[in-house]
Amino acid sequence: MSTASTQRDTVSTHDGTLQITQQPVQVAKRLEKFKTTIFTQMSMLAIKHGAINLGQGFPNFDGPDFVKEAAIQAIKDGKNQYARGYGVPDFNNALAARFKKDTGLVIDPEKEVTVTSGCTEAIAATMLGLINPGDEVILFAPFYDSYEATLSMAGAKIKCITLRPPDFAVPIDELKSAILKNTRAILINTPHNPTGKMFTSEELNTIASLCIENDVLVFMDEVYDKLAFEMDHISMASLPGMYERTVTMNSLGKTFSLTGWKIGWAIAPPHLTWGVRQAHSFLTFATSTPMQWAATVALRAPDSYFEELKRDYMAKKAILVQGLKDVGFKVFPSSGTYFVVVDHTPFGLENDIAFCEYLIKEVGVVAIPTSVFYLNPEDGKNLVRFTFCKDEETLRSAVERMKEKLKKK
Amino acid sequence: MEEKLSSVAKTFTPSPIQELSHLAQRCNAINLAEGFPDFPAPPCIKQAAVSAINNDFNQYRHVQGICDQLALKMNKMHGLNIDPLTDIAICCGQTEAFAAAVFSIIDKGDEVLLFDPCYETYEGCIAMAGGIPVYVPLDPPRWTLDPEKLMSSFTSRTKAVVLNSPHNPTGKVFSREELEVIAECCRRWDCVAITDEVYEYITFDDQKHETIASLPGMQERTIITSSLSKTFSITGWRIGWAIAPASAASAIRNIHVKITDSAPAPFQEAALTALSSPTKYFEMLRIEYQLKRDFCMKLLNSVGFRIQFKPQGSFFLFAELPKDCLLSDVEYVKELIRQAGVVVVPGRGFFHGKSGSDQPSDESFRHQKRYIRVAFCKTEARLCAAAQKFGELMNARGSPKLYC
Repeated sequence: MSTASTQRDTVSTHDGTLQITQQPVQVAKRLEKFKTTIFTQMSMLAIKHGAINLGQGFPNFDGPDFVKEAAIQAIKDGKNQYARGYGVPDFNNALAARFKKDTGLVIDPEKEVTVTSGCTEAIAATMLGLINPGDEVILFAPFYDSYEATLSMAGAKIKCITLRPPDFAVPIDELKSAILKNTRAILINTPHNPTGKMFTSEELNTIASLCIENDVLVFMDEVYDKLAFEMDHISMASLPGMYERTVTMNSLGKTFSLTGWKIGWAIAPPHLTWGVRQAHSFLTFATSTPMQWAATVALRAPDSYFEELKRDYMAKKAILVQGLKDVGFKVFPSSGTYFVVVDHTPFGLENDIAFCEYLIKEVGVVAIPTSVFYLNPEDGKNLVRFTFCKDEETLRSAVERMKEKLKKK
Repeated sequence: MEEKLSSVAKTFTPSPIQELSHLAQRCNAINLAEGFPDFPAPPCIKQAAVSAINNDFNQYRHVQGICDQLALKMNKMHGLNIDPLTDIAICCGQTEAFAAAVFSIIDKGDEVLLFDPCYETYEGCIAMAGGIPVYVPLDPPRWTLDPEKLMSSFTSRTKAVVLNSPHNPTGKVFSREELEVIAECCRRWDCVAITDEVYEYITFDDQKHETIASLPGMQERTIITSSLSKTFSITGWRIGWAIAPASAASAIRNIHVKITDSAPAPFQEAALTALSSPTKYFEMLRIEYQLKRDFCMKLLNSVGFRIQFKPQGSFFLFAELPKDCLLSDVEYVKELIRQAGVVVVPGRGFFHGKSGSDQPSDESFRHQKRYIRVAFCKTEARLCAAAQKFGELMNARGSPKLYC
């Protein structure tokens, strides 16, 4: 089949023949800088070198049987067609019940809950539904990499406040001069990926009063709320005066070790939910039906499930953190999530990316370079992120490899 | 705090299709409105999903096998050479593939041509990306493409044309001649074609679905989007894809990762089983839907409709209200729910008002309120029940009593 094109560049090659090149489809300007994510790159490198993957944040163990069985039952029961766009009613109800249990807030599942394909989509829908081009949005660096991308898709102006080691505390003075009358929204992830920091009551209250004073929206990414180890998780929405200006986002994936199911949600007052739902309807239209039914079952899990989850993760964390310290990393305290951030400079590599490449090729372990989580990559060059959402044997093996092959300079 | 909504979100209204579904539910009406089957998905595909869940395929993943199979299919069906490693992005349904495709190539101010009537979601996507939708009307009663209308819609700002074939709501399958007209315009104006081919396997009467990408000079400027949903009756699983030249596919993949990160993992596994279904499956799909189409046409003809355009594909029938029916589409639909307990979709939601550079009178746009869309992706039992309900509308003289 001939593919003659009227759009041609003809180039003379060195042997005199004409080579016809074809113009590729042009990619939108705003997105040219978004390449394959660092996670994919590192995972591919890991496979190539047979490295133990403590990089990408998904478990190498599976979710609980009772949730998987619920999904299977839903498939068999024929729940395989489009769900209502903003969520299967039973699931919305279960989400409202869970939100009440966790925060004390009573919400309307029909008007204040939107189900999305993972928290990632909740974030995208919130940005695209509530942010106008030119709006100013405040982010805390380091940040999960989809925030910058979706804000860019919404045409927002990003103002960044950097959290710094050792405790990644919010710099209050910087915050006060950042949140102004023309600030549209602030995005907060707590417990925080990648540092494991949990925003304290004092920090959240300070942010809250600044937001009320300046009429600023708050977007909360709380996917790790059930992995809060060193202190209680606080939902911004539960603070006085905050529910009416907050979008609270979460998902099933981390809590139930089913990261591939893509069940997430956004909870917000009706006037904000409206925008989220509009964007959501054009992004994915509806969320996977059988998984929503299973998620309904999951959310009604007894307290013992969540207690055991925490215990398991704390044991894993202990193995990794002690191991990293023994190896010679400077380990920063992580209060929540299944991540821990360390300073790699004792090992003499130039920056985080060089260190991670070395770690994969020479030691056989994967970590994530944190510079990708900053607007200014320089801010992250001394830090790398490890995850402990792996079974204990894997964690021990990784620690052993590092003890054996990673030497301080 | 309504002022907090983005300007784009403020212009959006709730889906008329979904609202009518709620009314229908309240009245316990037979739903011939929403475009999803009421019959089960194929057992072996459901089983594949069940196995995937049991075998722990539940974390983030990208199933490359889907791309391999799609590449084979594209080659077999359309003669296209697709590189499965670089030219395909797996997404959460065709909806997400389309959204990512739009975000990948549309900059603020870019114009995007759409054929009218059309599926309601495209416009919202384009608007979100800062694009400007421009409608090219298809001419009733057979929804033909007028090359003049198409050509006069292109400007220096036109970036893309959206092509949905087989077509929702009309059931039209764009002919080769029409595809060539569109292709010629795309080549001449250096535009991209973004296709929605979700009904690609549902065509009737020896009509074959052709992708515009197979026309000369088009593969390098076409983004194909499609999904498993309609072909395998699993609209709730959210497995779709975009097929495009490598640079666009890569951008689409990267955007998809930022929007949802990954399509549901167990259903990606099940997709492998679905896509390797034997030829017989696709033949039966066509045969069964064709029977349903014919049944529906007969049903409507028996209550006074004179259907001038027989659907060539998709599972929709777009029927003009009988000449002597004085009701508008919305009025008819409401009466149908109340009097017959059957729900269909008023056609006006698929039309987008006056378009083109002409100054048309209201007369030429009256047809926009005279159509109903009937979905026949329903069991025989349901269609028969609907037929019975319609039958009860006839009064003693044999005239439909709905509107006399």
